[in-house]
Amino acid sequence: MTALLQITGLCKAFRGVRAVQDASFDVEAGSITGLIGPNGSGKSTTIDCISGFQRLDAGRVVLAGRDVTNLSPAVVARAGLIRTFQNVRIYDGYNLLDNLLVAEAPFRGITWVDALVRTRRFRCARSAAEDRARELLELVGLTRLIDRPAATLSYGQKKLLAFAAAMMSRPRMIVLDEPVAGVNPTRINEVAGILRKANRAGVSFLIVEHNVEFISSLCHKVIVFEQGAKLTEGTPEAVRSDPRVLDAYLGIAPAARLDAAVAT
Amino acid sequence: MSPSRWTLLAVGVAVVGLALMPQLTRSNYVIGIAISGLIFLTAAEALNLVYGYAGLLSFAQLGFWGVGGYSAALAVMDDGFSFWTAVLAAGAVNLLLSTAIGLAIIRTTRHAFVVVTLTFALLASLIARDWVEVTRGPLGIPGLPAPSLMGFTFDTSARFYYIALAFTLAVLVFLYGLKTSRIGLVLKAINQNDALAESQGISPLPYKLTAFVVAAVITGMAGAIYAFHLKIIDPSFLDFYYMQTFLIIVIIGGAGSFCAVALAGAAMVVLPEALRFSDTLRMVIYGLVLVAAMMFMPRGISGWLQDRRIAALRKALP
Repeated sequence: MTALLQITGLCKAFRGVRAVQDASFDVEAGSITGLIGPNGSGKSTTIDCISGFQRLDAGRVVLAGRDVTNLSPAVVARAGLIRTFQNVRIYDGYNLLDNLLVAEAPFRGITWVDALVRTRRFRCARSAAEDRARELLELVGLTRLIDRPAATLSYGQKKLLAFAAAMMSRPRMIVLDEPVAGVNPTRINEVAGILRKANRAGVSFLIVEHNVEFISSLCHKVIVFEQGAKLTEGTPEAVRSDPRVLDAYLGIAPAARLDAAVAT
Repeated sequence: MSPSRWTLLAVGVAVVGLALMPQLTRSNYVIGIAISGLIFLTAAEALNLVYGYAGLLSFAQLGFWGVGGYSAALAVMDDGFSFWTAVLAAGAVNLLLSTAIGLAIIRTTRHAFVVVTLTFALLASLIARDWVEVTRGPLGIPGLPAPSLMGFTFDTSARFYYIALAFTLAVLVFLYGLKTSRIGLVLKAINQNDALAESQGISPLPYKLTAFVVAAVITGMAGAIYAFHLKIIDPSFLDFYYMQTFLIIVIIGGAGSFCAVALAGAAMVVLPEALRFSDTLRMVIYGLVLVAAMMFMPRGISGWLQDRRIAALRKALP
């Protein structure tokens, strides 16, 4: 597999506190890659840097051969990398359909004049975007709520809507920040199923998540962060049995305790 | 979403009613109020674009209003423009001015934006008063001539009313098109959550700048027409009363709602006049109505309706 996203030597400090130090890793095209690590290990900072929401102090971010280091979030998104947010972000004042229609990509090449006088070009783009939106709401199972105000959704439904919105622009890659945190445990498998389906359709994923079981069941590769640097990477099985990982999470490394932690 | 048949009917009736108004009344007083109402409503919808949609609380509207009025008055009195080209010139001056100001301040934080736009408005009023060589200072520029078109002079209130009406309808149609197009959708999205919009590939700055400039051009042209309605322009044209009126209309209607702001505009112009039965209590009652509206509908009429709809849907959920 070739690398879709290449991170090389990423460094980021906040007022002297080193959040991420010299982290390097790849996300292979077509893969689901997990990014785990204890709180404060620099995972969120890393995805903020990748998606353009934070400036890197040093290092390079290359997406599909194109250097996107320190480009603005909108430009990174247009290059094909879409991120979601840990505290779910949607447009509360809009219904579900409008939430999806905002996405920029379906309207690329449509000018202001097109949008204002509603030329044929605009109407074609709009109806294609609506079809795409309905398709995605079907995928995440929110079709019947299509004209509901998004503010009336439950937390889990909002996360699904945010995911559908991320899919709207047909990105090459989606970075998910804690997709199942706070989601009802009975629905976590449902989320995993949706992600697998999207992955089979060709979207690569980088997933930051604390739920080790979720990550293990879903990911081809897991990257472990500790104290702002990459500790190790490998298959979920290899990572789970790595004593350094157990040490990072629990301080000491008896395998039984990790298994207990995973089971809960 | 297309408007319902009833909405279209109501709009049709309103337009016909407005068009016939000078035939229904001979009172210059009533027509004068109607002209002010139409122009204030237009300026309020422009403020709604920049504040309600783009989320930029811009006090610069008052400055643009004044710049528009003075530009048109000076163009006619000093440079021999006709009324029509002078109104267009007022729009053009504001286009350049607001682009320059907008480029500089659109990326500031919300608080800084308020302060800078407020400063611009105060500066504009200082210039109107103190740059005597150009603006004639506190004396103002009296005797603005009535507009004429192909031999027809708009020299009575009833005739001038049609200029205001045509301008208002044109602006409202344009803004409605903007609101219902993708541009309106994206502007409000940026206002609701700019980080999310950016993560979806939308650069907020061009959208915000466009809203700011479009609002400035409309406000400037509205100011130009209003100056010719008054037939005089002086520094009181930049009185905070105007900004306050635009802002009250937007807030009572509900920032971000096109129709509610239009209705609130009509109500807020009629209300102070309707209260003239008691001259002493007039402004007291007006103030009480405003305070009550803000207490019970802090997000305006449209916000109140939306909250009720969401509450009803929440209740209907299992």
